[in-house]
Amino acid sequence: MTLLEFASGPGLQWALWIFVFGVVWRLVGALFLLSRKDLTKPRQYNSVAAGFGAIISRSTPAHAFEKRIVFQHVTGYVWHFALFISVLFFAPHILFFESVLGFGWPHMPNTIIMVTAIIATAVLVALLIRRATHPVQRFISNADDYISIFVVLIPLITGILAFAHVGARYETLLAIHLLSVEIMLIWFPFGKLMHAIMTMPARYQAGTAFGRRGVKA
Amino acid sequence: MRKNQTLGEYLQSQGVSRRGFLKFCSATASLMALPPSAVAQVAEALAKARRPSVIWLSFQECTGCTESLTRSHAPTVESLIFDAISLDYHHTLQAAAGHGAEAAREAAMEENEGEYILVVDGSIPVGNKAYSTIAGISNYDMLVEAASKAYAIVAVGTCAAFGGIPHANPNPTGAVSVSDIITDKPIINVSGCPPIPVVITGVLAHFLTFGTIPELDALGRPAAFFGQNIHDRCYRRPFYERGQFAETFDDEGARKGWCLYKLGCKGPTTYNACATLKWNEGTSFPIQSGHGCIGCSEPDFWDKGGFYSPISAGMWGSRDALLGAAAAGAALGIGSAIAARARKKKAQAAEEA
Amino acid sequence: MSSLDAIPVNAEVATGNVEPLLHEIRHALKRLANGEDGTVIDLQRLPLAPGEEQRIETALGEGEVRAEINALGPTLVQETAYPGVWLITHRNAEESVIARFVEVTDIPELLKSQRADIESGINKLESELADSAKNN
Repeated sequence: MTLLEFASGPGLQWALWIFVFGVVWRLVGALFLLSRKDLTKPRQYNSVAAGFGAIISRSTPAHAFEKRIVFQHVTGYVWHFALFISVLFFAPHILFFESVLGFGWPHMPNTIIMVTAIIATAVLVALLIRRATHPVQRFISNADDYISIFVVLIPLITGILAFAHVGARYETLLAIHLLSVEIMLIWFPFGKLMHAIMTMPARYQAGTAFGRRGVKA
Repeated sequence: MRKNQTLGEYLQSQGVSRRGFLKFCSATASLMALPPSAVAQVAEALAKARRPSVIWLSFQECTGCTESLTRSHAPTVESLIFDAISLDYHHTLQAAAGHGAEAAREAAMEENEGEYILVVDGSIPVGNKAYSTIAGISNYDMLVEAASKAYAIVAVGTCAAFGGIPHANPNPTGAVSVSDIITDKPIINVSGCPPIPVVITGVLAHFLTFGTIPELDALGRPAAFFGQNIHDRCYRRPFYERGQFAETFDDEGARKGWCLYKLGCKGPTTYNACATLKWNEGTSFPIQSGHGCIGCSEPDFWDKGGFYSPISAGMWGSRDALLGAAAAGAALGIGSAIAARARKKKAQAAEEA
Repeated sequence: MSSLDAIPVNAEVATGNVEPLLHEIRHALKRLANGEDGTVIDLQRLPLAPGEEQRIETALGEGEVRAEINALGPTLVQETAYPGVWLITHRNAEESVIARFVEVTDIPELLKSQRADIESGINKLESELADSAKNN
């Protein structure tokens, strides 16, 4: 079995199994840990509006901090948009998602994808360096932070190399890219990458809980 | 056909003028992917070249490779190269059959021991060696014997080079390639299903001209013809870059000649000369005719996930297995939540006590 | 067959190799005019999209000289509209194209009579004359 056959066959199969199993485990586990029905009388409020309101309001920094954390705020959004466009709108990726989900969606031209992928890689490297050198960031960062960054950075770099056919024969580059994605999928449910799934539900839950008490989250 | 003739003398005896010989050398240099500046060197080498003995053994094959090579009846450059070698045994092409033919083969092997080129097409079954025999001799035994006295071996076609069609899942005959059996002789893999005819003759021409084996890639294929993948030489590449893909075989994109990646083209992972040399003397090749590359010059191309499944969809199995994983995850999630609540209750009870 | 013919083929593709090739010919012509050696370009080594070979032929055009060689099949040697630029198409006895070259030179090598052929021609002429002298 060649490296590519393993990476696109059993390797991918196992990685997808572990990813789905882990994400569903954590999501269902968290949902089932929510408090039982509250029997107190709520303030006048619409729980759905409060939930979505919290998602929107927590998408920007708190007013007291917004001028001090402009860098994190802007680079965070730039990085996430660049990543989503590169991952979700590249035609070969969409074909992969189609094989998993059963449906696809329109794609964007490869030159746009190349630009966003390079932006995502450069910004992530800059943020990684900042995390490792800024005294406060360094103090509060743990292994989970660094591992989560690396398992996303390596697929970005190997993806760009594979697309550009640079560094080795194409099948080898493609196999390495697939293996790096598989490592990310396996790590995903067990580390901080879960924020991708948990962030919106967590904001929603805080919004409804606070809203019941008449407080804006 | 006198074997101690040089190729130059042989062509002269066939009434080929020096001018005709130069035309022959230009075409030969071109098909060997040599630059035009090498024609003089080719002419000098070919004029002095001895005619090598070639024994062609056909094993578990469909005869497509021989067919690919022998399309014409009139003299062509390909057939001249073919005539220039001394083809001492080819059981499909030769008139002789039976014991006489086998005796001729054995005599040729004896006479040219250590010097003849062994050409093999078709895979070799080792599951039960009786699956494919010639004159009662199994392919395996014939290959081992013929290889032991050969100078070099040319494995023509994906079957001989990598196992090919017979080797595809579940491989009922236990088919293997030549290089799986012979490990002590140089082997040139000229893969393809079938190989482009000029690639086959290009390898023979190289041997005629230089007397050596051409430069080979990691899979033992001549780098001059198998050094680039189809994707890098495909004329539809600009459409891939712009993201213009044909979604079905008869839609607008297909009619406009857009990239066939979504329809399963294996061009990015296939190495062959189809995109530049093309087929039928440069007429066309599968992608130009509207069908994606099936990767026929690569090992196990039948088992690479299906001809119409795009490369990035992978070969990872079914969606149903993922549903099973989700169910297992949900069960574990509910179970761990219940366990957590039980621990909480127990702690609360202990605190109150 | 009629339903196949009804499918229009309109692939507007280009490898972009036509202009660079014409520039290469231009540089070769300048070198030739300077007294340097001629140049031979193998057209089959270039990746060309369907229709691009035709575009090259049309761009080069036809000049004053057209020679047909009959050796191992027909070969057409055509001087293009640009003197010194020759288009050589080798065909085998079945009329299939086996090689195409653009030669930038005063006269293609293949048009010249070859020394070996001249010498075998001398032998042939001498034996013809000897035979006819014997018969007289």
